Amino acid sequence: MKKNELITKLKSIVEPYIQDEEAFKNLSEETDFVKDLKINSANLVDVILDVEDAFDIRIENDEMEQMVSVKAAMDIVNSKLK
Amino acid sequence: MIGNDIVDLNTIKPNWNRSRFLDKVFTKKEQHVVSVSENQHQMVWLLWSMKEAAYKIYVQQFGTRFFNPKKVVCYLSSSTNGYVTIENITYATTSTIAKDYIHTVASLNCSEHYKSAIFKVENDSYITQSESLKRRFLETISKSEGLNFKDLNIRKNIFGVPKLFQNNSKLPIQLSLTHCGNYCGYVYF
Repeated sequence: MKKNELITKLKSIVEPYIQDEEAFKNLSEETDFVKDLKINSANLVDVILDVEDAFDIRIENDEMEQMVSVKAAMDIVNSKLK
Repeated sequence: MIGNDIVDLNTIKPNWNRSRFLDKVFTKKEQHVVSVSENQHQMVWLLWSMKEAAYKIYVQQFGTRFFNPKKVVCYLSSSTNGYVTIENITYATTSTIAKDYIHTVASLNCSEHYKSAIFKVENDSYITQSESLKRRFLETISKSEGLNFKDLNIRKNIFGVPKLFQNNSKLPIQLSLTHCGNYCGYVYF
């Protein structure tokens, strides 16, 4: 999947859970789910389940471990879609 | 070292009944504890708050973040006391279970005499809550330590761990802040 397409899709997935509008507007690869978007860690579980559903993939716990940023989420999704 | 976590039982969003949620978050043993519990909603968030409170200490200790709630394992020794392990480190936890919230304090060393507080805020927006929590904590410290409120401030390090400063010098007080929904909590020593 193209980078921009993937970011757009991830952006729509995280939107319901963000608590910082400004950081969300400026979302980029470098954006951190917790530090920047202030997503509550319990909602991070939802984000991961939503990513699994949206891309029809399954993310193992050890892969999820580093999934705290947009970049990390993109890497995981890409590795699964190959 | 100290960590705390609060869960507002009325506003907490994730639906733990969602398929795969429990499996992402809890070990088989923890899932069993939830399934035999009389109040499953309460038990889910009690275990969650224990994990979060202990994880906050782990981040302070090792300066590394990770997201893998199953690696953080809870053991309850009574309805409100227990311990949590992450890899081979053990953290003691004490929880307060109320009708509307659950608050857990985790410590690395049980003998730490910490002070904690829980309070309710009507506005549940993240920024407002975060600001009133900091202000309330600083007011408390200002009074208890006899320091000028205006000189105090909280800064987060790159891992998001809050540190207390008087002007530009770091004070030897360890703290942890938490908020969720309409509830805030802090702990320090």
